[in-house]
Amino acid sequence: MPSTVLPPLSPRARWAVPVVAAVVVAGAVAAPRLAAADSSELPGLTAQELVAAVAEAERTPVSGTVVYTARLGLPSLPIAEVSGADPTALLGGSSTMRVWSDGAERSRVALLGTVSEYSVVHDGPEAWTFSSTSGTATHYVLDAEGQARYEAMAADLADGTLDAPLPAGAPTALPEDLAAQLPDEVLAELAPSVDGSLPTPAAAARAALAAAELSATVEVTGQSTVADRAAYEVVVTPTSDGTLVDRVVLDVDGSTFVPLRVQVWSTQDEAAPALELTFTDVSFAAPSDAVLGFTPPADTQVEEVVVPSSMDRPATAGAPTPGVDVSGTGWDAVATISGVDVPGLLAADPAALVEQVSPLTIGSERAQDLVEQFRPTDEQGRTAVDLDAATLYETLTTEVEGGRLLTSTLLSVLVTDDGRVLVGAVPPQTLLDLA
Amino acid sequence: MSRADAPGALLEPGTGYGDLPPAPALRGSLARLLVAELRLVLGRRRNQALLGGLALVPLVLGLVVRLTQDSALRDQGPGFIGEVTGNGLFLVVASVFVCLPFLLPLCIGIASGDAIAGEAATGTLRYLLVVPVGRSRLLLVKAVGALVFAATAVAGIAAVALVTGAAFFGVAPLTLLSGDVVPVGDGLLRVLGVVLYVGLSFIGLVAVGLFFSTLTEVPVGAMAATVVVPVVSTVLDSLPQLSAIHPVLLTHHWFDFAEFLRIEIGWDVLASGLGLQAAWALVFGALAWSRFTTADVTS
Repeated sequence: MPSTVLPPLSPRARWAVPVVAAVVVAGAVAAPRLAAADSSELPGLTAQELVAAVAEAERTPVSGTVVYTARLGLPSLPIAEVSGADPTALLGGSSTMRVWSDGAERSRVALLGTVSEYSVVHDGPEAWTFSSTSGTATHYVLDAEGQARYEAMAADLADGTLDAPLPAGAPTALPEDLAAQLPDEVLAELAPSVDGSLPTPAAAARAALAAAELSATVEVTGQSTVADRAAYEVVVTPTSDGTLVDRVVLDVDGSTFVPLRVQVWSTQDEAAPALELTFTDVSFAAPSDAVLGFTPPADTQVEEVVVPSSMDRPATAGAPTPGVDVSGTGWDAVATISGVDVPGLLAADPAALVEQVSPLTIGSERAQDLVEQFRPTDEQGRTAVDLDAATLYETLTTEVEGGRLLTSTLLSVLVTDDGRVLVGAVPPQTLLDLA
Repeated sequence: MSRADAPGALLEPGTGYGDLPPAPALRGSLARLLVAELRLVLGRRRNQALLGGLALVPLVLGLVVRLTQDSALRDQGPGFIGEVTGNGLFLVVASVFVCLPFLLPLCIGIASGDAIAGEAATGTLRYLLVVPVGRSRLLLVKAVGALVFAATAVAGIAAVALVTGAAFFGVAPLTLLSGDVVPVGDGLLRVLGVVLYVGLSFIGLVAVGLFFSTLTEVPVGAMAATVVVPVVSTVLDSLPQLSAIHPVLLTHHWFDFAEFLRIEIGWDVLASGLGLQAAWALVFGALAWSRFTTADVTS
């Protein structure tokens, strides 16, 4: 504040100071963005070369911040505000995640909430999830058969004796779920799968490219800048027009060929991608060992889950899983799962929740009785929890003839009254016709 | 707001600032003024009551968690309040979390909104302007006073929380939000980082309060206007339709203190939070300066 040194400024000049301050601030915000805008020219590549390079890049260590945005057209669920970081938040809106991967079988993905976090850690043949909101951890391990197979495969991969005895491609109904069978991820394939896993650009890109092999055109359309890095833009367009997926746009880093951004565009919405996963900053240095492992805190409840090895590979091409019937192929495939007891599944949830809460008493026995009086219960005396699975189901689905229908910009699900569930990335009418 | 035409205008613009006495005398005056201001801010009963009330929060929170830890009421509220029972360090985080949305902005808004309007209301501002210190420096002294109050408020909460937590629950290795555990020393440093970041997060609010304080002679008006800013900012921040303006909202990065509790601290997130505060402080500090050095002071 130089007013005692410099000659006095006129009032008008003094009022110019905050204007200058505002301009300086705006400039400081805008300058890095403008600087990042110019990207160097990348050498031209064909689609095949690029897809091969992406497969090669599987083993590149990656860490960074990923922003996930879903515009699925589902009713809004303000779950994140109620319960902190939770994978259900991925159904809509924007979420921020941090990812660390060593490019092989160890990785960590953390979904960030306001002073909360939900982490998924894959550490070779075991996996962990931890929610800071509930303070509980879940430990996933393979059963004996799966463990033996995993170790044998790991040893083979280390020796370099693995001459690609890969299982055939396993198309399931959802394009996202199409498991690509690239040599480097056999281990990842054998590692235990986790309930409530979090998406990453690498996994999404892999799924899209695997689906592209079935029935889609792949072309390199140009260059883009993602996370301040020059990237190739690849567009995967399904050849079928019976699917809700209009196109998948991948942005692949120009020098490491790691997928930096994946956008899934729906035929229903031309203005913005229905799903977007993008790095906002990225580093290709190997993450520290502490990040890639997990040891639960001493006094935490740990739920142990043994993943049966047969569940690792649902619906392989040769032997379809009993009860699942896939009609159509590729992008417009519809899976029909029969014999699903939907009301049973939904009812089981709140009951389990109440059992966890109940053992503790509030104050004295009498106070506990008083509390019980005010707990809303249904006819069987079960406590009705506010935001339970049944409510969620009611909110998301609409009543149609012969069942309930969930529609979104990318996926349709029809639950029929006779216990069949039809799932596909197709318009709802297709499901109704099939059912 | 010009009072140039008001009867009895004591100091016309252009007469009370600018070419004031030479540097040596001024330096002594500035130091004396600063000491007097700090004594005023920290010695005032009202401010002491505010600081005392804030310091009660961790005490009450600690007691409540302690008394309910064996009943069904435990583990209510945000997840880490349940963590307090296992680790006194978490009481610091829990107290800051509880005070950050409203109590702290309220107290700091009161102190910074009062800084100049309070003097004007009691008719003492004219005497301050007689002190051989330019208006710019007087404003600076007032800003330092309000910042010291903010720092004291945050540090007070943290200190009481640390002592209460350690006494009730002991200090143990810190469980991060990701579920990983860090040793006590590292944990203490991280909690200190939380407190420091939260303290620095109020720089912008102090500047806003100072600006409102120069606009009016009614301290309550300046205080209320200052307190409204973070509340409105929080409301706007919760509307996804306004995501374009979220990054510039005053409160947008307040809860990023949680970065200190993640496995890898996101320094870039913290830096953008502090940069945002610096930007608000710069713009509203400049506004306050323009207003204060051009206004007619009549009381």
